[in-house]
Amino acid sequence: MITTSRIVFRPVLPEDYPRLHAIESDITTAMTWRYRGQLPPLTAYEPALWAQTQQIMVVEGRDTGTIVGYLQLHDTDLRAGNASFSLYSGPEHRGSGMVMEGLMAFCEWVFGNWPIRWLYAHSFEHNVGAFESGLRRGEAVRLGVLRERMAVDGELIDVHVIGIERESWLASPLRRRFNTLRTRQL
Amino acid sequence: MNQASASEPRPPETALAPGPTLEVRWRLAEPTDLPFVYRLVTQVDPRWYRFSRNGLEPSGMLELLAGIAAGAVVLDDYGQPIACALLTDAGSSGTGAFEYFALPTPQAQQLARSVAPDLLAAVFSASKLRRLYVERFDNDPMVLGEAAHLFEAEVVLPDFLRIDGIYEARTTLVLTAERWWPWHEARTTTTATPDVAETDRSAA
Repeated sequence: MITTSRIVFRPVLPEDYPRLHAIESDITTAMTWRYRGQLPPLTAYEPALWAQTQQIMVVEGRDTGTIVGYLQLHDTDLRAGNASFSLYSGPEHRGSGMVMEGLMAFCEWVFGNWPIRWLYAHSFEHNVGAFESGLRRGEAVRLGVLRERMAVDGELIDVHVIGIERESWLASPLRRRFNTLRTRQL
Repeated sequence: MNQASASEPRPPETALAPGPTLEVRWRLAEPTDLPFVYRLVTQVDPRWYRFSRNGLEPSGMLELLAGIAAGAVVLDDYGQPIACALLTDAGSSGTGAFEYFALPTPQAQQLARSVAPDLLAAVFSASKLRRLYVERFDNDPMVLGEAAHLFEAEVVLPDFLRIDGIYEARTTLVLTAERWWPWHEARTTTTATPDVAETDRSAA
């Protein structure tokens, strides 16, 4: 568990599933998130949620106790030392920065607890803005763009492949600031 | 391997590569090819990463093969398998992945290169793919032959895997239908002339 002034970052619990399901049910993102509009009902949600997934961490607003989003560690490849992650934000909290703060906690947790050198994320063109500040600062790198990779509602969409390297994260000023803020919460 | 999804239209069961001297053949893969595919994976390990990433435990590999849409086996002059191609991850977005490996001998790799364009022709003819991906490590033998230059790199994952003590990047290359068809049609016309076919083969 990682705590800052705004968030609590912790492993998911079964009682969190309805909230995660509600986040994934948002019609504005349902077609572009992993189920592509085929989100299973809550009764069948758990196995789908955990498919190819090693761990799920939720981001809870510290003031409200509400889950504002969650991060998923999946397709972990310990032979190569890499894994992928997905990041989901509740519609009412997008733009608040809370889930991106959760991403910092996630990097700290993954690189501190798993033998992983690279984290990868696949981001649709219209979502990649969430990573732009990290790309500018250098904590993340754009490893390439899969042009017209996906077809959603007849529209061809580029998929950006984003990478976060362990050494870059460990050496980043952002990490130092994040951990300074954490320390102040103790 | 599940070949049902490749049933219409399907390429010929056996095809001959052009040219008077090398009778390179390929045919659709069959369940009886599994021992060869397994042997091939072990000989190129860990470069056929779909199978090697979790180790070489046979039942795990069988499970992976069960989900593959279509495959082809390349045969040498004696009818022995020397290479295998798989079409994987073919989905509703009109994309798919082409995985193609040959036994690690110069002769097998040469034969694989010479038949690669015909295999790609079969893939594009038998499907509605817009974009066909190939993923490769830096030091993988290039077996795409004459068609290799048609592929363009889109993603490079640096230092992806340590192979024989050296980290190699993994690159995702793409061949679009728009690039494939004009080249294929020109080649089909050109390779009707035996002299040109010989030239193309030596270049591969």
